[in-house]
Amino acid sequence: MEFEGPAPSFVDEIIIVENVHKWFGEFEALRGVDLRVKPGEVIVIIGPSGSGKSTFIRCLNRLEEHQEGRIIIDGTELSHDIRNIQEVRREVGMVFQQFNLFPHLTVLDNITLAPINVRKWSRDRAEEVAMKWLTRVGIPEQANKYPGQLSGGQQQRVAIARTLSMQPKILLFDEPTSALDPEMIKEVLDVMRDLAKSGYTILAVTHEMGFAREVSDRIIFMDAGKIVEENTPEDFYNNPKEERTRLFLQQILHH
Amino acid sequence: MTTHTETTTQNETSTGRGFNWQYFLQDNLTGSWHQMLIVLVLAVITGVYAYGQFQESPTSTIVVFVIWLLGIFMVISGEFRKRHTNLSRWLKNNLLSSISNTILTLFLFLILVNAVVGIANWGFINATFDPALTAPELQPEDGATWGVIVGARKLLATGVLGPEYSWRVWTAVFYILGMWLITYIVSRPALKENLRIVRNVINGLWILSPVILYIFLAGVPNSPYNIQGTLTGIVVLLAIYVLLWWQKVIPFSWTSLIGTTAIWPVLYSIWWAIGNNEFFPPINVDEWGGFLLTMIIASSVIVLSLPLGMVLALARQSDVFGIPAWIIWPAAIGATAWGFTTTPGLLETSRNIAEQALSFWPLFILGIAYLIHRMFKGNMVAGASTMFIELVRSVPLITLLFMGINMAPFFFATGTSIPKPWPVIVGYTLFAAAYSAETIRGGLQAIPNGQYEAADALGFNTMQKMRFIILPQALRIVIPAIVGEFIGAFKSSSLVSIVGLFDFLGINRVISSNPQWLGLRLELYVFMGLVYFLGSFIMSSYSRRLEAQLGVGER
Repeated sequence: MEFEGPAPSFVDEIIIVENVHKWFGEFEALRGVDLRVKPGEVIVIIGPSGSGKSTFIRCLNRLEEHQEGRIIIDGTELSHDIRNIQEVRREVGMVFQQFNLFPHLTVLDNITLAPINVRKWSRDRAEEVAMKWLTRVGIPEQANKYPGQLSGGQQQRVAIARTLSMQPKILLFDEPTSALDPEMIKEVLDVMRDLAKSGYTILAVTHEMGFAREVSDRIIFMDAGKIVEENTPEDFYNNPKEERTRLFLQQILHH
Repeated sequence: MTTHTETTTQNETSTGRGFNWQYFLQDNLTGSWHQMLIVLVLAVITGVYAYGQFQESPTSTIVVFVIWLLGIFMVISGEFRKRHTNLSRWLKNNLLSSISNTILTLFLFLILVNAVVGIANWGFINATFDPALTAPELQPEDGATWGVIVGARKLLATGVLGPEYSWRVWTAVFYILGMWLITYIVSRPALKENLRIVRNVINGLWILSPVILYIFLAGVPNSPYNIQGTLTGIVVLLAIYVLLWWQKVIPFSWTSLIGTTAIWPVLYSIWWAIGNNEFFPPINVDEWGGFLLTMIIASSVIVLSLPLGMVLALARQSDVFGIPAWIIWPAAIGATAWGFTTTPGLLETSRNIAEQALSFWPLFILGIAYLIHRMFKGNMVAGASTMFIELVRSVPLITLLFMGINMAPFFFATGTSIPKPWPVIVGYTLFAAAYSAETIRGGLQAIPNGQYEAADALGFNTMQKMRFIILPQALRIVIPAIVGEFIGAFKSSSLVSIVGLFDFLGINRVISSNPQWLGLRLELYVFMGLVYFLGSFIMSSYSRRLEAQLGVGER
């Protein structure tokens, strides 16, 4: 499988996050997160549950609103301005844990709905692109079925095709394999691996250690709303800098 | 002999086959004291009823009793021979499965026979079917006068509407039926793809059909050409066009711009030309009546309340940025002060304690401000929609109808007479919309959050998100409940007879006070019940079909 790469980006750092804070009522979910990502980088975020990793990547396309700090995506700062949010959302694709396909639409309509109505493409062009991506994720024959008729792995691959057909530059994966049966995880990880190789900027929250080791440029370990450690995959696993990271790795590697 | 002993031993553990008196009694009678009580009460009621029936019509009662005993005998003999015929097995499983069921069977059988005989006597044997019956003396003593339905068909159909308009009513009926038929044909899967243009024309006609039906059923008044109004219409439409184009909802094209400019003058000219013709003189809509009025009210309410309910439901859920407290409170305090200063002497001139209390009315402004600020966090859209829904839902429909009729003149210049159907339709629509809004809100809440998030992440704006993703799913969930409300609206439209309109049910009073049909009510009620049943049945079967159609691919 060979994937077509994303549109080129003309900024040095496609994601700039500066001192981001986020509160849910009294609870402070993010306590000053800083991160800079170059175009084409693949970053895996890991951390114990409740560490704020999902909240963090959901802030990047404004599914959650941050209350302090700055987030600049491909040169556009996320603010209350709805036009900036729309612009960022067009460039940032997101894949969810629960797939979140639209159950009342066929697979093809699921994929073409956003390009037709958001990008204002013609139906023919949108369907052509949709079929291209469905072929790339390996399920072109399912185009006219409904999501409820597919297996979990197939649904997640449709969700990836739906995201890609909007031609995003950045892909956010929010635990994309956590809701899948073990034998379906591989088919989704294969797709993600190929995407990583074809130049997309990827931020993935995942517990798949093999995937993180193999394809990521950087691994970020988050705990209690902060980035505890940022490291290359080799050093992260073999030679972590922080004590907290070492404890976490022990727990997940020896269960 | 041996086999018999075997079955008895089996019965020690299961009561399935064979017969065991002890188990039989325990299961049916002596199991518990309330079981005995129920059987006893049933037996007494049945006995008393049967005795009364026996004295009134001994033959039918004896026949019923003998048939009942025969059934019991068949079941018992089947049990003892351990071999049932089809009939006796059916009787055992359905009608005579226990002592209480057996008694109940006799009771219901007696009632049924009684009712069937009574209905047959009243409705057929002693009835007349003469539609030309001219005097109440000719009506049968204890039978139906079915002729009234044929004889009074004009009143039943259109009330007191003049006969010169009947062709217009018929045209409207055939127009609607024709539209349904054509829509049904062109929306069949086999034709769906090929007839895109025809379907567009049909959709356009459906959108225009309220106007078309209005022209047929209410007519167009003859008036001079209103140039000012035409220009205003053009300007308003162009403004909307520019707004939509600016907000990038629609792309710009010269054809669509010219179309937007032309549509209003063209439609208005057609309207005006119809008015200046003697084909469709205006009808006094207060003369609408009978089934026509019921259909007009019910379908207007159904058609208008659904979109209005959708808007209200979405508004109630709206999370637009609220008005901050530092605006709400000064504004409310200012309004309160203004209220007290503009209506000073209220307290001095009040004559009783209620008026004294009412003289402090500006304090209500503070209360409303508190509600908006605290409950809706300054969100006026959600606040106003919630208050409207709760206010309308907490008032009986009749109150709204009376208020509609009595308050309508306040909204128009003094001396304008407003025909009753309009305020009734408006009040009823608001009522129905408040209920549909809550139903639709229930549907909206059933949509998982992930659907909203996926739509947001793909870059849909709020309108697109609602239109393509949330509402299609939410509305499908609420189809059964919404159709239930439609059926309710159809039937409850008979309440308008209380405010002086002669709808399908209310026309009954007119017919039965007619010297020719004096005092006839039951026949009409039976007929009306049948018509209401048919209407409701059609709606509910259609809803079930719609559900099945839309359920494709549901998980």
